[in-house]
This record gives sequence, structure tokens and C-alpha cells, in this order.
Amino acid sequence: MRLIINGESRDLQDVRTVKELLDVLGVDHQTVAVMINGEIVGRGDFQKSALETQDAVEIVRFVGGG
Amino acid sequence: MVITDKERVRRLVSLPDAKASWAERLRQSRVAMVGMGGLGNASAAYLVAQGVGHVILVDPDQVDGHNLGRQILFQPPDIGRMKVDAAKERLQQMAPEVSVRTEAVALDGDNADELLSGYDVVVDGSDNWATRVILNRFSVRQNIPVVFAGAIGYEAQVSVIKGGRPCLECLFGDTPLADQNCAVMGVLGPVVGMAGTIQAQEVLKLLLNTGKPLQGRIWTYDAYRGISRIVGFPTRPGCSACGGEA
Repeated sequence: MRLIINGESRDLQDVRTVKELLDVLGVDHQTVAVMINGEIVGRGDFQKSALETQDAVEIVRFVGGG
Repeated sequence: MVITDKERVRRLVSLPDAKASWAERLRQSRVAMVGMGGLGNASAAYLVAQGVGHVILVDPDQVDGHNLGRQILFQPPDIGRMKVDAAKERLQQMAPEVSVRTEAVALDGDNADELLSGYDVVVDGSDNWATRVILNRFSVRQNIPVVFAGAIGYEAQVSVIKGGRPCLECLFGDTPLADQNCAVMGVLGPVVGMAGTIQAQEVLKLLLNTGKPLQGRIWTYDAYRGISRIVGFPTRPGCSACGGEA
């Protein structure tokens, strides 16, 4: 499936949900905000949020130091 | 030699959109700095240098040797002093006309309103999610802008919250986020300084009511990969901090 991830087009196999996408990318679920086509996906909803081809996905990691 | 207020703002008021009132507006402005680490050091230095008249510095810690690589207001003889005291002295050397209030305490849910009320803008220089939640809810409750930032490793980010809709918890949710620690993850000194100077720019834009604030948007920077992005974010329906509906 082709996704636009943080502005870059990527082809990823066997990625059906936000959870699977984050796992494939090796991203920690507990420190990120995810938006699909501009809508925020709650961290509790990653597993049930389905992705469709050409979805624009933004993954923003919370950067906590100061 | 005394540098007059007029000299300090000479290049500021040469900006194409500048108004004659800007110098006096800054002189009367009140900015609260919560945390005097790498973010607070950089943002306070630029805000005071640019002519902000009144600041409060809030931080319970003392200067430590490992702070010196990024907390540029501090010098070796400051090690062991309260950060707010050392920073106040340095800021008053930079701008003798500035008034600096110091509070060597940690901001919490009980003292936030008392410490921060009466300030025009709050700068988040904290290093943990819990304090940022307190500041986010203060902004929602009081409709006072908070300029948030974070930096760790090679990464930095900045976003402005102004009364919510959206707010910081719309973006990052209302479940506690795992804190990251500079002691464990390290941080490249200029990266945190860069986030602090972006914060100072956003504060000045808010104070002078010019430009487009980073409201509903987050600036993100990855120095390692050389990538910067500004990502818009909407109000999250059901957000427990700002109420959800846009």
C-alpha cells in the first residue's frame, strides 16, 4: 500500500492499521501523535484505525527535554 | 556607556511592518519563563536583549557543571548557585533596564495561577510532560498564550497554544506521555538553543501582534537528518483539556 508519511511517499506491505504502521517503522506508540489526512488519531485507537492507500499520515514524536 | 532603550530597538523598528509603538510595547511587556534550562536560557537572553521590560524566572534548580554546554547564561563560577539568581544577574548585565522577578520553586497545579497571572505570554522551558499539562490547562483556563517547546538528542519542536481549540493535549492526548531525559538520551547544545530562539520569536510576534503565530501548528526539527517540518493539527473532539468541538 502506498502512503504519504510525513510528506514522503512510501510503499509498505502488510500494513493495515496505524499500529501496524508504527510497528513496521519501529516507532514507540507512547510518545507520538498520529494524524491521518489531518485528523488526530487517539493513542488508544491505533489498533482499530485502518489505513487506506494514498492516506497522508503525519507522525509527530513528542520531544520532551528542555 | 548607557545603551538607551532607543538604541536597543533601532534595528527592530526598522522592520518593514514595525510600528512606532513597538519599543514602548516591549518595554511594558511581561513574560513568564517557566524553567531556566537550555530553552529558558536561550529564549530569555533574546527576549531581554530585544527589549522586553519585565520577566519572571521560575526554576527550583541549581546550576550544575553539565548545564554549561547549552545553558549559555551560566558561567563556571555560577555552579552551585540557584539558576534563577545566576540568570537574573546575567540578564541584568545584558540589559540593565530590565526588571527580573525570581521564584526558586517548581511550578505546580497549586501555584501556577498565582505565579503566572498578570503576564502577557508564558514560555515553556520545562523538561517534563506533567508541567506542560499544567501550562496547557493554564492557557485554556486563562486564555493566555503559552509558547511550548522541547528538545532532546538532535530534535526540537515548538508550538503556540492560545486558549485552546486546539491545545497541546489535542495533539498529544490526555494520557501521560513517557518523559525523555537529557541525561539518558543526550542533547546537542545548539539544538535546544534553536528551539529557545524560535520560542523567543513567537513571543515577540505575540507581544507585537505581528506575523502568523505557530498556533494550531507545530514546528519540528531534526538536526541529525537535516529536516524541518511545520505540521498543522486540528482540535481533537472530546479533548478533556479544551473541550473538543472546534
